[in-house]
Amino acid sequence: MARARVEQQQPATSGTTLIVMVGLGIAFLLFMAFLNVVKSGSLLSESNMLYAALIFYAGAGALYLGFGVTGTDAYLRFASLATWAGLAASSGAVAHRWYEAGHPPFASIYEMLLSFVWTLAVLTLIAEKKFGVKVIGTVTMPVAIVGVVLMQLLRTEVHPLVPALQSTWLHVHVTLAMLAYAACALSFALALMFLIQDNVQNETFLAATSLFGIGVYAGILTRFDNWGGLSVIAWNAPEKSEVFLQRGVRLFVVIPDLGWLMLLVLLVVAAPFVLYIAGRPRKDESLFTLANRAVFISILLQVVALLVFLLRARGGQYSSLDAGGLYATSLAASPFILSGLVSGIFSSLLYLLLLWRRPDLERLLPTAEALDRITYKTICIAFPLLTLMIAAGAYWANRTWGSYWSWDPKETWAAITWLVYAGYLHMRITRGWRGRRAAYFAILGFAVVMFTFFGVTYLLPGLHAYA
Amino acid sequence: MAVDPKRWTRKVWQTLSSIKTGVVLLITAVVLSAAGTIVLQRPVTDADEMQRAYSPQVLRLLDAVGLTDVFHAWWFVALMLLVSLSIIAASIERFPNAWRYFSRPYKYPDQHFRRSLGIQKQIPIPDEETGLVAAERALHDLGFRPERVVQSDHFSLFAERNRLSEMAVYIVHASLLLIFFAGIVDALWGWRGFVALTRGQQSSVVDMRDGTKKSLPFAIRCDAAGQENYADGSPRKWWSQLAVVQNGQDLQAKQIVVNDPLVFQGIRFYQSSYGPTGKLDKLMIAAKSADGTGEKKDIALSVGDSASLDANTTVQLAEFFPDYVIEDGQVYNRTNSVENPAAHFVVTSKSGKPVNIWLPPLEGFAENLRSPYQLEVSDLRLGYFTGLEVSHEPGQWGVWAGVVLMGIGLAFVFYLAHTRIWALPLRDANGGLKIWVGATANRNREALEERFHDLTEKIEAELKSQKEAAASAEVASIA
Repeated sequence: MARARVEQQQPATSGTTLIVMVGLGIAFLLFMAFLNVVKSGSLLSESNMLYAALIFYAGAGALYLGFGVTGTDAYLRFASLATWAGLAASSGAVAHRWYEAGHPPFASIYEMLLSFVWTLAVLTLIAEKKFGVKVIGTVTMPVAIVGVVLMQLLRTEVHPLVPALQSTWLHVHVTLAMLAYAACALSFALALMFLIQDNVQNETFLAATSLFGIGVYAGILTRFDNWGGLSVIAWNAPEKSEVFLQRGVRLFVVIPDLGWLMLLVLLVVAAPFVLYIAGRPRKDESLFTLANRAVFISILLQVVALLVFLLRARGGQYSSLDAGGLYATSLAASPFILSGLVSGIFSSLLYLLLLWRRPDLERLLPTAEALDRITYKTICIAFPLLTLMIAAGAYWANRTWGSYWSWDPKETWAAITWLVYAGYLHMRITRGWRGRRAAYFAILGFAVVMFTFFGVTYLLPGLHAYA
Repeated sequence: MAVDPKRWTRKVWQTLSSIKTGVVLLITAVVLSAAGTIVLQRPVTDADEMQRAYSPQVLRLLDAVGLTDVFHAWWFVALMLLVSLSIIAASIERFPNAWRYFSRPYKYPDQHFRRSLGIQKQIPIPDEETGLVAAERALHDLGFRPERVVQSDHFSLFAERNRLSEMAVYIVHASLLLIFFAGIVDALWGWRGFVALTRGQQSSVVDMRDGTKKSLPFAIRCDAAGQENYADGSPRKWWSQLAVVQNGQDLQAKQIVVNDPLVFQGIRFYQSSYGPTGKLDKLMIAAKSADGTGEKKDIALSVGDSASLDANTTVQLAEFFPDYVIEDGQVYNRTNSVENPAAHFVVTSKSGKPVNIWLPPLEGFAENLRSPYQLEVSDLRLGYFTGLEVSHEPGQWGVWAGVVLMGIGLAFVFYLAHTRIWALPLRDANGGLKIWVGATANRNREALEERFHDLTEKIEAELKSQKEAAASAEVASIA
């Protein structure tokens, strides 16, 4: 936020400052990394390549953001360069992992993130070069950064595949899933941009951002326990694994008082939404101004919540409700909480970008009609991929467990996703839904995709316990 | 008020085939299946866990409305049937129109159609035949096969591509119905169960999911089974050598692994688990007479087996505990893995009374010192079982056929556009002779516009080259 505010005050004329700053930052980080490499003795290890990727994606993200804010073309050129460099580093990491493991990197959540980040970088470059959607990096690069940071926390050693996962169909299934979900993510970003071009009011975006935050913190607060504590999974540091009470049952420990903090953040994050609902019928401008202020406070509090969570999860021993004794936890044990916190902050920051620089954004984006058409085309690619993904998964399940469909939560939600996009296509083709309604539908579809991908694993039990 | 049955059925049909009904049904299906993923489902949850998760009243309520087994509840099946009926009705309602479109292509564009067509152009031509030939050549170059449509006083051209694309939606709907149908067949006539076999054992009885037993018309025998490990000890591969036996004859044999089942008469046997039964296969012991005389004797015993140590003395392996624990003066078994084994032998001599020997010598149970022989365990071989999932899914080929059909249908829907191009000579308002060219496609208009641009350029180039050829011929004839 600090950077965005500085640029708000400084006019766009101080052109090269950002590039110089980002360049210096990258050079400094590369130098530090080089020192590390000298110490560890191996240049091309996977973690070094991931580190390089992280640096370049962060640089690219900053430059895309700078481009979004100022509209200076030079930023975009350097942002693309940084994305290319990050992609090269990611490709190295993927190739290294593939070579070392002997199977494509889809077996664990770490390997899936590795592939996901790679796909995202490729799609960003395609969207930028082929479709001319230049600011897309502002959305995708932060996601890539979150992905790489999450990877640092997860277990990285090559884990042998349990017998059920040794199948070509698994690779087919997961590859298709990654491609389909990436296409859905792209259609979501395009639909958002369409809404910006379609003159949807800032207040509506504010309400949506707030609603997303409410969803994130309500999800986190499902782990509210023991009067003010927050349950997280216990972590066994030497084994680098979650602590299991018995087979398949994870041990939860309660971090005291963190639950109250999360509840407080939920209330502040919800405030803009409440103000929006209250101000809408009366068109009360002062309430909207108040709501915009609440966004600032919510960002501050969200950052505080993230920092407190980081500090408390990293150190300290906590008691559990289900077993005696004290246990440690780790960020690695709570990837979903962490990514929820980070994406909440990002969505609020994106709202600020919109609030301050809307005319520039509108100038940089393709026309509303073009965005509407590209969104539809992206879904036309995503839908067959979803279909094939479900089919490949069913075929694999049939070969492994003797049943192609067992209504487990992940399967059911994949089917629901499919139905939602089928609904989109029917409404568009037979009822001629275009523009705003179609865009809302595309956003709904992506929300369901996210729930299938994260929510089901985090909130619901099931067979897909491998990922 | 009298109810007119004809009107009534008409109304039901209209409701069923309307998009609105379809959407309402789909939303209901989405909401109910989402509920089925949030409420714990009986078929996949232990009864204890259900009771732990919900209070008795809530559980009774959930059970009463069927929310604890959504996907097998009658109302869910009924909903799926309604969805299918709605798809069928909607398809039948719209099919005749599409079929007319498909079976009787519109080959000659009338004036009204020409005026409203979005993509069109007029190009001046010297005479009708030259213009038609130029258009024909250009269309050929672009991969079309134009046909000449005969009118009363002139010809026109019609070319099209991917007409099947108009039918593709019905292919997708039909494939979805096929998958539903196959799923219903499996729900009614399919079954799933489990068989656990140890080496050499055979069985023709399957433990079904619902707790009943089902006997098969043949037996399955396990000849060997095993596990291979990674270096870190986690399992890499489970395998079983299976044979199908009927009337004492081996009909089929196969080594199965996870992901590669044995199939016999539509019944599939899947490798699903592998592990110790907790039962002893053989215990190797060395026996030595307590006074130190005589040779050391190696004996292999299963539980209940006896062996003679000398002419007067026998030893029997009475009990084996893989993981023993002593509570209230009794020996119990805690788990089935060999953590803390204990063996109980009885040595009987003709002269004396039986002596209980325990290895290790458990206090209060063992009478090892009174035994005429000392026993020592040299090795133990455990029994392992291989766990086989058994399933019968008569409808699964319908599902796969449906999936393939759907893939083809979707490819047609999204990636093949039905493109139509017309060309005809006409006179414009000023009396100039022109060739009118128009095109339409059911999707991907931008690509068509690009292609249409190519087409008109080609026609113009063709006309120009013909004119030059004619001019040079004229020059030649003058010369």
